[in-house]
Amino acid sequence: MRTALIGGIGNVLLGDDAVGPYVLRLLESRYSFENSIELADLGTPALDLTHQIVGLRALILVDSVSSDEPPGTVVLYRKEDILGIAPTERLDPHSPALSECLMTAEMLGASPEHVLLVGIVGERFEPGVPLSDKVRKSVDHAIAAILEELQSLGYFFQKNCSPQSPGIWWGEPRDLRAIESQSYE
Amino acid sequence: MAKRITIDPITRIEGHLRIDVEVDNNAVSNAWASCTMWRGIEKILRGRDPRDAWLFTQRFCGVCTTVHAMASVRSVEDALKLEIPLNAQYIRNLILIAHALHDHIVHFYQLSALDWVDVMQIPKADPAATSKLAESLSPWTRNSRNELKAAQDRVNAVASSGQLGIFTNGYWGHPAMKLSPEVNLLAFTHYVQALEYQRKALQVVGILGSKTPHIQNLTVGGVANAIDLDSQAALGMDKLEMIRDLLAEVVQFVQQVYFVDVCAVAAMYPEWFKIGSGVKNYLAVPDLPLDSRGSAYDLPGGLIRGGDLAGVKGFQTASDTAFRQGVSEDVMHAYYQGDKALHPWAGETEPAFTGWDGEQKYSWVKAPRFNGEPMQVGPLAQVLVGYSQGHALTRKYTDLAIDKIAAIGGVRATPAALHSTLGRHAARAIRACMLAELAQKHLQLLVDNIAKGDYTVHNQPVIPSHEVQGVGTHEAPRGTLSHWVVIKDQKIKNYQAVVPSTWNASPRDRAGAHGPYEASLLHTPVARPEEPLEVLRTVHSFDPCMACACHAFDPSGRKIGVAKIL
Repeated sequence: MRTALIGGIGNVLLGDDAVGPYVLRLLESRYSFENSIELADLGTPALDLTHQIVGLRALILVDSVSSDEPPGTVVLYRKEDILGIAPTERLDPHSPALSECLMTAEMLGASPEHVLLVGIVGERFEPGVPLSDKVRKSVDHAIAAILEELQSLGYFFQKNCSPQSPGIWWGEPRDLRAIESQSYE
Repeated sequence: MAKRITIDPITRIEGHLRIDVEVDNNAVSNAWASCTMWRGIEKILRGRDPRDAWLFTQRFCGVCTTVHAMASVRSVEDALKLEIPLNAQYIRNLILIAHALHDHIVHFYQLSALDWVDVMQIPKADPAATSKLAESLSPWTRNSRNELKAAQDRVNAVASSGQLGIFTNGYWGHPAMKLSPEVNLLAFTHYVQALEYQRKALQVVGILGSKTPHIQNLTVGGVANAIDLDSQAALGMDKLEMIRDLLAEVVQFVQQVYFVDVCAVAAMYPEWFKIGSGVKNYLAVPDLPLDSRGSAYDLPGGLIRGGDLAGVKGFQTASDTAFRQGVSEDVMHAYYQGDKALHPWAGETEPAFTGWDGEQKYSWVKAPRFNGEPMQVGPLAQVLVGYSQGHALTRKYTDLAIDKIAAIGGVRATPAALHSTLGRHAARAIRACMLAELAQKHLQLLVDNIAKGDYTVHNQPVIPSHEVQGVGTHEAPRGTLSHWVVIKDQKIKNYQAVVPSTWNASPRDRAGAHGPYEASLLHTPVARPEEPLEVLRTVHSFDPCMACACHAFDPSGRKIGVAKIL
């Protein structure tokens, strides 16, 4: 039974906003996870995020965020941080939906017990550009934060001996080469 | 002295619509709809393989991924003059219907019901009296006193915690709120139930599309669902039965709950049949094709000008010549270079940001026009073009809605009263009932066709090297969506998406004509300018979603000022 969700959030066509789905694909290619963990590219969900998160024990989301910190900084947010945001204000480009969905889950009494938002401060969000170097360099920190959370909650995963290509279909060919060499490090 | 009110953003889902209104003597005297984000994702598609375009276009928006995927494959198929196997048409139709049912349910309950329902009145309701009232309205079996009491307890828990959470933004106690505590409780109970049923609709999308958001089963020329009645890995009897069961539950919710609630709200706010009309030109395209060529459809399309229902002109096909030739986009008041109104195949998307200036340029949304005129799109457009052409299914549920509203409130609405804020809600509920019936029909069509031994799901596309162009349309939850593609040397040369919210949220054009949002707000009464609930009601009735109308977001992370009065 599914008890944990690792969700990559962001628009893959908009520069650093792709970092959520990007991290998700690297995780999938580098690691194997126990069956109770679901990994999903959630795109840029609005209120339909609610039904993805109700009833979970652990929710881990990875997304680009706007923050005063410099681009590439990994910022971790917990449930209280997200619930503390009034629904019309934004923690990141999708926070209206995220905080509203979490509040709805709270109201239903089915909110995940453990919530971690792994935010990566983005630099550029223009259509069609690849991840900025600063954000690309922070990807391993984001992955480490996700794995640490899983470990502390007692979930099982293991590193793949021969990782598969992460399948970043939206990039240009030169980006794909960079990703593949990274995943075989 | 007119007061200027700026509402930014107005959508409760992702998107960055800004509304400016001037309020004079407690009524709106002028209005501007604008979008604060740059639009330009289409440029990414240039030079790519047209068979891949749909994977990119479904990332335009996080909410309507499916509709952009579908319009995209249809545009390439139109350019290639490619027929689609029957199974593929039915599977696509089922996905589109299920997505639309999900979307309509979410729109009414999660995105707009709280404009009409005062949550803070709920603690005063008597669950037993509410249950009795509910039983008089509908045969729905989940209106018991216990279920209503449980919903009331949830509200009590939130209200007593001192933190309103999800209810923080409502205009509670506003003089325009009129429902009794019991009706408020009933609607809120269904708000909670709606979360369950919209999920069931999405499960249908997931079963057929392999994933949602972002379905994976499309391909130019058909679908990639292998059909094998005996295999659990393919589309077989077990999955078809699962879809049948899920649809049965969703259909019941739509017909016994959503439709009834909209009629009840309409009956209790009859003045809103006179507010919010605006642009009375309506545009809808035919959808849910019934054959492989796309020559017969279950949903009719057409054009109405100036509210003249008798003068309706039908579209024969989803890429009707009149439609292909009629669309242009005007950038006179939008932040783009150039001053010509261009056909989408010749469309340009070169930004020229100037800052908000209500007299000059003030929006990132282009102004789509049909033969030079603004058009209202959406379920209301579809219901009106269907009703006026005598479409039986549209008439059935429209007449049923009129009867139901009269039975509850004693006021008999006419089809002409549908030109209004409430009309848009009623039309969406009518359309949902039509789609609910059609969902079951198209599932049966699919099952029957497979039973004949037809397992074909795909026709191989052949892309010529000479230049071809195509348009793919879909009558999406928010209205007419069209993707326009030009293919040359087997690659995409130009791509433009003219989306429903662009039609409805369009700024003024070169002739100064308002877009539908703007026009619908004129003369709207506003009791308290600092709490412009009435403005929200009308704008929400369109189901605004600017994420794809503008295709990008403002990454500045600025705080949003809601209802700022200047």
